[in-house]
Amino acid sequence: MNNKIPNFVKTNQFGLLILVIVFICIFSFSTDGFTSRFNIYALSRVVALDIMIGLAMMVVILTGGLNLSLGALGVSAAMFGGWCMESMGIPISITIILVLAFGSFLGWINGFVTVRTGVHSFIVTLATMSIYFGFMTLLTEAEAFRKLPEAFTDFGSLKLFNKYISPLLIISVLTCFVLYYIFKYTDIGRKLIAAGANPDAAELSGISVDRMFIYCHMLSGFLAALAGIMLTARIGAAIPSMAGHLGFDWLLPAFLAPVLGGTLLSGGKVTVFGTMLGAILVTLINNGLYLIDVGEFWVRFFLGIILLGAVLLDRAREYFTVKNSIVS
Amino acid sequence: MSDYILELNNITKNFPGVKALDNANFRLKKKSIHALLGENGAGKSTLIKIITGVYNQNEGKLFLNNQEKSFSSPNEAMNAGISVVHQERNLIRRFSVGENLMLTNLPKNNLGLIDYNTVAKESKKWLDIMELDIDPNTIVSDLTVAKMQLCEIAKALSLESKILLLDEPTSSLSPQDTKNLFALLKRLVAEQDVSIVFVSHKLEEVFEICDEVTVLRDGKNACESEQITNLNRQKLVKLMIGRDEQIIKSKKNIDFTDESLLDLQSINTDLGHKNINLNLKKGEILGLYGLVGAGRTELIKCVMGLDKINSGQILLNNKEIKIKSPKDALEKYKIGYISEDRKKEGLILMHDVLSNAGITVWSNLKKILSFLNDSIVYNKVDPYVKQLEVKTPSYQQIVSNLSGGNQQKISVAKWLASGTDILFIDEPTVGIDIKTKSYLHELIIELSLKGTSIILITSDMPEMISLADRIITMKDFKVVGETINNHNYEEMSSSIMGNIHE
Repeated sequence: MNNKIPNFVKTNQFGLLILVIVFICIFSFSTDGFTSRFNIYALSRVVALDIMIGLAMMVVILTGGLNLSLGALGVSAAMFGGWCMESMGIPISITIILVLAFGSFLGWINGFVTVRTGVHSFIVTLATMSIYFGFMTLLTEAEAFRKLPEAFTDFGSLKLFNKYISPLLIISVLTCFVLYYIFKYTDIGRKLIAAGANPDAAELSGISVDRMFIYCHMLSGFLAALAGIMLTARIGAAIPSMAGHLGFDWLLPAFLAPVLGGTLLSGGKVTVFGTMLGAILVTLINNGLYLIDVGEFWVRFFLGIILLGAVLLDRAREYFTVKNSIVS
Repeated sequence: MSDYILELNNITKNFPGVKALDNANFRLKKKSIHALLGENGAGKSTLIKIITGVYNQNEGKLFLNNQEKSFSSPNEAMNAGISVVHQERNLIRRFSVGENLMLTNLPKNNLGLIDYNTVAKESKKWLDIMELDIDPNTIVSDLTVAKMQLCEIAKALSLESKILLLDEPTSSLSPQDTKNLFALLKRLVAEQDVSIVFVSHKLEEVFEICDEVTVLRDGKNACESEQITNLNRQKLVKLMIGRDEQIIKSKKNIDFTDESLLDLQSINTDLGHKNINLNLKKGEILGLYGLVGAGRTELIKCVMGLDKINSGQILLNNKEIKIKSPKDALEKYKIGYISEDRKKEGLILMHDVLSNAGITVWSNLKKILSFLNDSIVYNKVDPYVKQLEVKTPSYQQIVSNLSGGNQQKISVAKWLASGTDILFIDEPTVGIDIKTKSYLHELIIELSLKGTSIILITSDMPEMISLADRIITMKDFKVVGETINNHNYEEMSSSIMGNIHE
């Protein structure tokens, strides 16, 4: 990110920030209760999750791929966590470590199959989505884990900062900083981005592209599992259908946040804080529309429109990068 | 009435911060082949884009057949009879030749479906005019590169083009294919009333085929419609770069009986290399010459671990090594590969200068917990970027915005920074201006004098003969000859061509 103000103004993030502010203003004036403590707290719980699943998708989009199994994977990991705590009596801290490892493992499967077969991750994760969710339903017999340790569920309903903010949001924001640090200040982060931008050139420059792509999928699984834990804490139970059938409910926000944020669908560019702002925008619109009471279908309609708009924006971005480069 | 088919008068074109063209003139005579020359960044591409309607000029006028015109889109220019054949192929590879030729105007039958008989018949007509023996039903991807090039020209003709712009048409053609192409171009001019604008970095070709020359330098005319007969190579180079060309020759004494640094012994590969033996001495520049498709790049890629070696040994300092990947080559054995295709394999065009120049050294520079920031990378690569005189506004500049020559310098700089002992350099000067070209030549020689051993692949015979110490000739994935280079062009080139045509 650049310190010079004019450069920042030109970025996607700045545009998003303006949009976020505009929507906050609109909803504050046009609805009752948007700025209420209750609503802001509820928003912070929702946005925390949207950020996390946005990041989980972003790290795979970085490779020029997709992770459709995101929701199924997250829920499977969460159900595994529920089983660990409720049925096995494993302490919370160890459970969390196990769940994150399990999520990374499922991500590894996605990555390994994608890299080894050379099939686009769209197809691979479409298949694993079904496999993960099917297995999970089979093993849990579609039963929820509702008797989780209190310390765990209490955390999900904890209220911080004068009861405005959920600690879940703090986890998500911290995750953003960690990811930003990884991509900006580590050798491995640079290699992930290089591999995503031009696999051939990266490979010939001595980067093991296959390994980098597997890392991206593992990171995606890790973040999706983290999102799963957070959702479990928020609801207070691990429920097979908590992300919809096959985890579909997560897909729209998962795409919207990074694409709005400026992550190129063709890979090779990440915008961690853009994804965060994208997730905030999506949550705001979602929430605001519910408060205006336009009805469930209209909310989905609008989110769909926004995704299409964001994809057009993505195309425009690529087009303008090409246009600018013509001058030589 | 003048006998110019195309006239551009006092053209000025501004881009933010740059005057790409400054009062430039260009006049194309009917039925002539006109060379448009200039270094990268001199304004050639901009001029071509104005002629083809991609850009509009800020000042100046364009006349086509003595009528003032201004094209607002490439389509309009095409309809007016101006076609451009780009360096990049614009054919649809999965379609047949006929479909490609007729693409903009596919004949239909009564049911509104494509009439493939007519497609074949119509396209055959144009292929016949070019005396091309290609079945219109052939799928484009099955053609050789040279044939694809010719199909592009056929496509331009089928659009009834009277002005043909050829941008580096021979960059991927073998000498024989180039000869055929030139014969064809001459015939088109004589028989089909076509006028041709020819853009090339290979001056030999310009002298062989062109009637007149226009040279651009820094957006201005260095000369305008000069008769080729009034010029020679030295004069032309001086017009292009504004000073005399420096001829360099590698003067080294390599004892070829010394022990080899790298030794390939009876290598057979998955790609079809048969019993390849070659060795590289320390500090030597070993040239690999051959026509396109001789398997040179493929051999290097096999050595780098990108494709499978089925049998045979690779020895480094007399010890057998197994290279599994370019990462292995770089980190374990200090071997690097500068790709011939800098846009696809050499650089990450969408990333900035710093990350492109530093990509090979990240692993070495990383601190605890894989920490690495820009200034660590900058300190490492800056000397090399400076040494190579890369012209860039900053290290944050996106590489795709740089000129071809500067891009190539960066793809070289990253390997200098990595400090490899052995470098495979593949076609280092394709599509690069003369100044940068001779600069890179000096650099390659300097590197070898400092002890880096180099395998140089180039299809540019003068380049090969001025740089290499020893030249291996390859043909059909086999080694067919080895010659110690005495830097005498006539002797060496006839000896090498002799090896190839034996």
